[in-house]
Amino acid sequence: MKIAIAYDMLRFEEKALINEAQKLSIPIETLHVDSVWFTLDAAHLSPREEYGTLLQRCVSHARGLHVSAIFGEFGIPTINSYEVAAICDDKILTTLRLAKHRIPTPKTRVAFDQEQALKALEELGYPAVIKPIVGSWGRLVAKVRDREEASAIIESRISGSNPNDHIFYLQEYVKRPERDIRAIVVGDEIVTTVYRYQPPNDWRTNVARGGISEEARLTNTETELILKAADAIGGGILGIDAMESPTGLVIHEVNSTVEFRGASTVSKNNIAKKMIEYALRVAKK
Amino acid sequence: MPRDVLSGEIVSCKDCGSEYEVMIDENGTLELKAAEEVGEDWGE
Repeated sequence: MKIAIAYDMLRFEEKALINEAQKLSIPIETLHVDSVWFTLDAAHLSPREEYGTLLQRCVSHARGLHVSAIFGEFGIPTINSYEVAAICDDKILTTLRLAKHRIPTPKTRVAFDQEQALKALEELGYPAVIKPIVGSWGRLVAKVRDREEASAIIESRISGSNPNDHIFYLQEYVKRPERDIRAIVVGDEIVTTVYRYQPPNDWRTNVARGGISEEARLTNTETELILKAADAIGGGILGIDAMESPTGLVIHEVNSTVEFRGASTVSKNNIAKKMIEYALRVAKK
Repeated sequence: MPRDVLSGEIVSCKDCGSEYEVMIDENGTLELKAAEEVGEDWGE
């Protein structure tokens, strides 16, 4: 039974997964989603497309989510499942799920109106952070120091046509070292943890914004918290982002299509190999 | 062009550095289109 890797853009990560599968002599099929179409009104995929597992690796959230839905509905174990991807792709759903499982997160407020957003920010206190509910790589994440800055950001978001930008996801600005933690969880194992240091002149630590990775060592309590967070979201292959707050780790993001280029340069583990081995374990027999 | 290039792969022009996305149709015909810089819903 072969593993399929669905992607819309072939990056370092997808190539690493393909290479590791080939090294392990695991049959693999690359599925460029822009080069195929799917039949939805059939009971199952055609035998030609009968895969043991699908690794969903689309860089577009919308495409990835629907690819997971299609394959999941056809009974093919999909990493990650539609349900997990949907939670990770929406910061409100992520926070709700973590909070439900009593996992510490930064204090978070959501508002659907400009004035209510400003009131919520007053209650949180400045500085605070305004984030889009959908998005990644630190895009459109703004640190606001006072009401004036917050108003300008909110005005700018309202003027856009994307309805998601009219929903305000607001968080306390967590006092932390100039780094955060990225843990890559594969199944029930943390395969690597790295500190991501913020680049000069930026408060965000995303590797996409120039953040620098260094191997991190977590305490047993921190390790347990990361695994608990992964379990709360629904498991699979996840990138859990945490900050070292004065009261301990807080989880601020969970990513469903984990990038590991930066982490792989400092990790002792072969991350791609771990992912392929996991895909094989969950494959339909 | 790398010999093992796959559809969807991003390649860059050695002369000007421009990035292109490789598209290969079912007949194996290869086409290059200018790579998108960042899509609105791109991410992890």
